[in-house]
Amino acid sequence: MSILYALVARGTVVLAELSTTSTNASTIAKQILEKIPGNGDSHVSYSQDRYVFHVKRTDGLTVLCMADEDAGRRIPFSFLEDIHQRFVRTYGRAIHSAQAYAMNDEFSRVLNQQIEYYSNDPNADTISRIKGEMNQVRDVMIENIDNILDRGERLELLVDKTANMQGNTFRFRKQTRRFNNTVWWRNCKLTLLLILVLLVIIYIGVAFACHGPTLPSCV
Amino acid sequence: MSFQDLEAGTRSPAPNRFTGGRQQRPSSRGDPSQEVAAGIFRISTAVNSFFRLVNSIGTPKDTLELRDKLQKTRLQISELVKNTSAKLKEASEADLHGSASQIKKIADAKLAKDFQSVLKEFQKAQRLAAEREITYTPVVTKEIPTSYNAPELDTESLRISQQQALLLQSRRQEVVFLDNEITFNEAIIEEREQGIREIEDQIRDVNGMFKDLALMVNHQGNIVDDISSNLDNSHAATTQATVQLRKAAKTQRSNSSLTCLLILIFGIVLLIVIIVVLV
Repeated sequence: MSILYALVARGTVVLAELSTTSTNASTIAKQILEKIPGNGDSHVSYSQDRYVFHVKRTDGLTVLCMADEDAGRRIPFSFLEDIHQRFVRTYGRAIHSAQAYAMNDEFSRVLNQQIEYYSNDPNADTISRIKGEMNQVRDVMIENIDNILDRGERLELLVDKTANMQGNTFRFRKQTRRFNNTVWWRNCKLTLLLILVLLVIIYIGVAFACHGPTLPSCV
Repeated sequence: MSFQDLEAGTRSPAPNRFTGGRQQRPSSRGDPSQEVAAGIFRISTAVNSFFRLVNSIGTPKDTLELRDKLQKTRLQISELVKNTSAKLKEASEADLHGSASQIKKIADAKLAKDFQSVLKEFQKAQRLAAEREITYTPVVTKEIPTSYNAPELDTESLRISQQQALLLQSRRQEVVFLDNEITFNEAIIEEREQGIREIEDQIRDVNGMFKDLALMVNHQGNIVDDISSNLDNSHAATTQATVQLRKAAKTQRSNSSLTCLLILIFGIVLLIVIIVVLV
């Protein structure tokens, strides 16, 4: 979307014009100036190939611009309104008696600045600015969703690992309980063996003292 | 007095008796009777005034002010009649219940007849007033408006027709101009609406994204809770396993002591056996 050509005229006398590309816009614009019907204020748009010529005439001063077809009407006519106000504010009554291209040297720079502003700057139109901001918000949200999805994947891995760890720790607990039981039983058996050995030794001693295996003297 | 005149008009043999009654017993008359007499007198005076006003209807003196005065006088008389009628009824009741003298009763009856005659006079005056009010109209000062009529010439009519033709042409041009302006403004408005609808769609998309984000974050919150519970369970199981291992370590140390003791005992027994065999 961009404005390619702009022109300010009084009737059919061109006072200032600017073209950002080498086209035949100037010729077509002059033809349009001659063919605009009536003498009063008007807003009209003429289509030519892929471009549209927007014309605004107020108080005898005509402002014209050529823009892309997809630029619509709102921004080009805002541009025309702005140029009209700047021109009237700058030159005042001299407009009615000026010669052709009298203001072209000075006003070309203003036309160039405003063409650049209305073509590229989103602030030129509130709706375009909000649309741009909403696009930025949407991009940020898409990025956020990507980050959340990535985090989700890692959380899935983490929950799997923690589940495995939980299973392993349950088995570890079971095995340590079994090991504890095993060691306890071994300790029990050793204790019984010790008691048995001591009993045997005492029996042998007593047998010697009583002079026989059946303990005849002591009975 | 008006009473004497009225009485003279109605009955002729009364004055001597009336005067004699007053001279003989003046204190026997009660307050209601005196009030009735005063009321009748006032009504008679008012009716005379009313008659004078009624006689003015239909004359150059008949104005809106006169009509208003008539209305006020009529209302005043009605009020007086009401009051006097109440007093007369009161006096009649006193005569019936009290021990009034014959002369007083005759006087009260006379007052009643006077009252009726005054009422008849008033009704006659009212009827006359109504008739005259309908017949005559009060005098009202009017302003006669000046009417101006100037006949137009053929030249003027021709000029007017030309002006009308020019006016129609001018109006038609204005209508065409306004139609163009309306078309232009409608195009601008539709373009703005299109832009606003696009912004609305983008906002709706962003809204959907926020909702999806909320769902995902909530879901991941549940996953994090699961991770937390897994870790807690692992910690508890590991703690219990550590306790079991500590117990096993203690038992194993006891086993080592018992094993050493058993080996020592076997050694001693073996030594004794060898010594006995050698000896």
